[in-house]
Amino acid sequence: MKTLLWIQGLSCNGNTQSLLNAENPFFYEIFQKIKLIYHPSFSYRENLQTIIKKVKEEKIKINFLVVEGAVTSDKRFHKIGDYSVAQILEILKDRADYIIAAGNCASFGNIPATFSHNPDVTGLQFRFVQKEGFFPPDFKTRSGYPVINIPGCPMHPAWFTQTITALLEGKKVILDQFNRPKELFMYLPHDGCTRNEYFEWKVESEEFGHKEGCLFYNLGCRGPMTHAPCNKILWNRISSKTRAGMPCIGCTEFNFPLRENFFETKKNMGIPEEVPLGVSKRAYITITGVAKTLKNKRLMVKLEETD
Amino acid sequence: MPKVRKTVLNRVEGEIQLKLVWEKGKVKDAFIIAPNFRGFEFILEEKPALDALVINPRICGICGHAHLIATTKAIENLYENAGLKIDVPKNAKLIRDITLGAEIIQNHLRWFYMFVMPDFLKLEKSKKLKDFEPIKGYKWQKAVDFSSRIVKVIAIFGGQWPHTSYSVPGGVVCDPTTFDLTEAKSIVDSVVGFAQQEIFGMDIEDYLSVSSEEEYLKKSKNSDLKKFIFMCKKHQLDHAGKSYHRFLTVCDMEYAFSKGITKKKRRNFYVEKVREIDSYSYLTENGFSFDKNRYSWAKAVRYNGLPYETSPLSRRINSREKLFINLLKHYRDSYMVRMWARIDEIARMLYAMKMWIESIKPSEPFYIPPPADIKEISGKGVGLCEAARGSLIHQLTVEKGIIKKYNIITPSTWNLGPRCEKYLSPAEKAITGIDSQLKAEMILRSFDVCSVCTTH
Repeated sequence: MKTLLWIQGLSCNGNTQSLLNAENPFFYEIFQKIKLIYHPSFSYRENLQTIIKKVKEEKIKINFLVVEGAVTSDKRFHKIGDYSVAQILEILKDRADYIIAAGNCASFGNIPATFSHNPDVTGLQFRFVQKEGFFPPDFKTRSGYPVINIPGCPMHPAWFTQTITALLEGKKVILDQFNRPKELFMYLPHDGCTRNEYFEWKVESEEFGHKEGCLFYNLGCRGPMTHAPCNKILWNRISSKTRAGMPCIGCTEFNFPLRENFFETKKNMGIPEEVPLGVSKRAYITITGVAKTLKNKRLMVKLEETD
Repeated sequence: MPKVRKTVLNRVEGEIQLKLVWEKGKVKDAFIIAPNFRGFEFILEEKPALDALVINPRICGICGHAHLIATTKAIENLYENAGLKIDVPKNAKLIRDITLGAEIIQNHLRWFYMFVMPDFLKLEKSKKLKDFEPIKGYKWQKAVDFSSRIVKVIAIFGGQWPHTSYSVPGGVVCDPTTFDLTEAKSIVDSVVGFAQQEIFGMDIEDYLSVSSEEEYLKKSKNSDLKKFIFMCKKHQLDHAGKSYHRFLTVCDMEYAFSKGITKKKRRNFYVEKVREIDSYSYLTENGFSFDKNRYSWAKAVRYNGLPYETSPLSRRINSREKLFINLLKHYRDSYMVRMWARIDEIARMLYAMKMWIESIKPSEPFYIPPPADIKEISGKGVGLCEAARGSLIHQLTVEKGIIKKYNIITPSTWNLGPRCEKYLSPAEKAITGIDSQLKAEMILRSFDVCSVCTTH
C-alpha cells in the first residue's frame, strides 16, 4: 500500500479541518487506499521522531509527503520536537515520490510570510509570486514533479483528494505556472456563480445582505480574476462564498493576502483597476456601456418579485 | 532528585510540548510549552480595520468563525464608542449564533472522538473500544460524517467552512430563502438523531432536563457518554485533574448560556478586570525576549489577579445548570466533569440552533450599513465571544480606519498559558499531583488544546 506522511509548519490547521469535510472519497475512505503513516492530529501510537528515524534507515517508505503550513528554519518561532520544519523537510525531501503543499501557507507563504519579525518564512517552492520558496526553483521529487501546490485558504478537500487519487492511479496531473493542478485551477470562481447574470448586465451590489447583485464592481469580489473552481466544486458540497453573498478574496492566489481593502473595488474614474481575466479594459468599458443601456428588467427587482 | 521529561503532544490542534517535573512518582510541576508563533497581532498593525475580518478567522482552522464574530463585534463596538451605534438586525444576530453554534458542535464532536477517545484505547487496551479506532472505527467515521454535516449550515449562510468572512459590521452578507432555512433545520435534525442515538442514549430534550449523574445513568440507554463516565470512574479520572474551581464566561447566548464569573458566588464580568502578564512569555511589552525562564509564546491572563478556567464547564456553572452544580459538589472541577460539560454542550447547542433557525424572518433585513465609513472612525473597540473552548476577547485601536494596535486573548491563553509569579495556569495546576504520563496528557487534553489559538 502507498504511504502518506503529513507534517505541519506555521499553520492554523485549517487544511486538516477542511480535509475532514471531504466527500467522494470521505477522509476515512481515502486512507483505506493509502496508509497514513503519521498525522499530528490523528496519530496516537506513532511519534514523528521515531518515524523520521525509520525513514532514514529505509524501514519506512514515503510516497506522499504532505506539508500544511509555511516553512521557517528559525526555531524560535516554530519547532516540532527538537526539529525545525525546515530540518524535517531537508531529511525527507529526497525520500518522497511526491511532495504536496496543502493550502496557501505551504504553497506561497500566505499570512505567516507577512510577519516582518520573521523574514525567513516561505512556501515550499514559492514565496508569493517569486520562485523563492524553501526548495530551489528547479527542485523536483523522485517522480519528476515539482512540489504540487493545492492552494486555497483553506484548500477545498476535493482538490486534494482528487489530486491524490489521480496520482495514485498513475494518471498524469498537468500543472499551471504556479504548479497547481491545471484542470482544477483553470476555472474561476466567477464560473458558475449564481450572480453571473447580474455581472453580465452590470447590476452591481451597493451593500451586503442581498441575493441580488454582482459583488465585483463595488464590493471587491475577485471572482473574475482568481483561479479556483469554487462555484464548480461547491464548498461543503452545498454553497460558495459568492453564492452566500461574500466577495471572493482570491485566497487560492500566490499574492493572497497582500492586497488591502478586501471589501472594496479599486477604481479609476469609475473603471475597476483590474478587469476580468482575458478581457481588455476597452472591451470591459464597451460591454458595460452596452449592458447598461439595454437593461435586463428581471434584474431590476428583488428575485421574489420577478415574473 | 526530581526527574524532568519533555514530550510532544499529538492529537491537539497544532504543537504543544509538555514538560513534567517528577518527584516520588508524581508530577511536581508542569510546564505547557507553546513553541510556535505566527504574529497575527503584529501583522494586523497598519492594516485597514475591515481587513481584520479576512485575516483573523485564519488564526484558527477549527474555531476561526469565533474569531470572525469577535472581530465583527470589536469593530461594531468601535463605532459605538465613537458615538455611532450600529443596530445589528435581529436576523443577523440569529445567523451569527447559528453558525457559531454549528462550529462549536463540530469542534466538540471532532475533539471527543478524534482527540480524546484514542487515549482510552491506550488506557483500556481491550478490543471493546475498536469502534473508536482512528480512521477504521465505525464511531470515528460517524464523528467525521456528522461533524462535517453540521458545518454545512455555516456554508449555507456563510458560503464555506473553514474560513469565511461573512459576518461584517452591520450584520451578515447573506439573504437566505425559506428553503435555505428548512435545509439548515434538516441538517440540525439529522445531527440531533446521531447525538440521541450514539452520544446521549436518550432524547435530547429529556437529556437537557436531567439534573444528576444518577438520573442520567438511570434514564439513558447505552451511549458513548455513559461509556465515557464508566471509564472515567474505572481509571479514577472522576476525581483527578482538578484546577482552581473558578469559572469565567464573557458572553450570553440565548437558550444556551449566560455570562459571569464564579469563584464561590456568581458575579458580573467586567472586561476592565482582565490583565495579561508576560513574565514567562517570549512576548513582552518591549518586544521578544528569550530569557531562560520564559517558555511559551502565550501570555498569562488573569481576572482581578486570579487565574480562571474558561470552557463549556464555565458556561454551565455561570448559567447555574443544576446537573453541573451537582457534579461540582461531588467531583469538583475534575477531568470527568470538564469533559462531560463539553459533550453536554453538543445537546444544548443543537437545541438552541433549532430555536434560532425558527426565529429567523426571511422578509426582514440581514444587514444594515454602518452609519459612517470606517475611514472616518478613530478610537477603541472590544469584541467578546464565547468560542468552542471558552471566552475570546479581541481589542483594537484604530485611527481613521487603520489598525494601530490589536490584541487577542483566546480561551486557550486563559487555560493553557504559562504561569505568572503567583499562580500556575489552570491546566498546569490541574496536572500537578498526577501519577502517570498518559493521565497527565489526558488532563491537558480535557482543556481541548488548541496551540494555534494559544499563541496565534
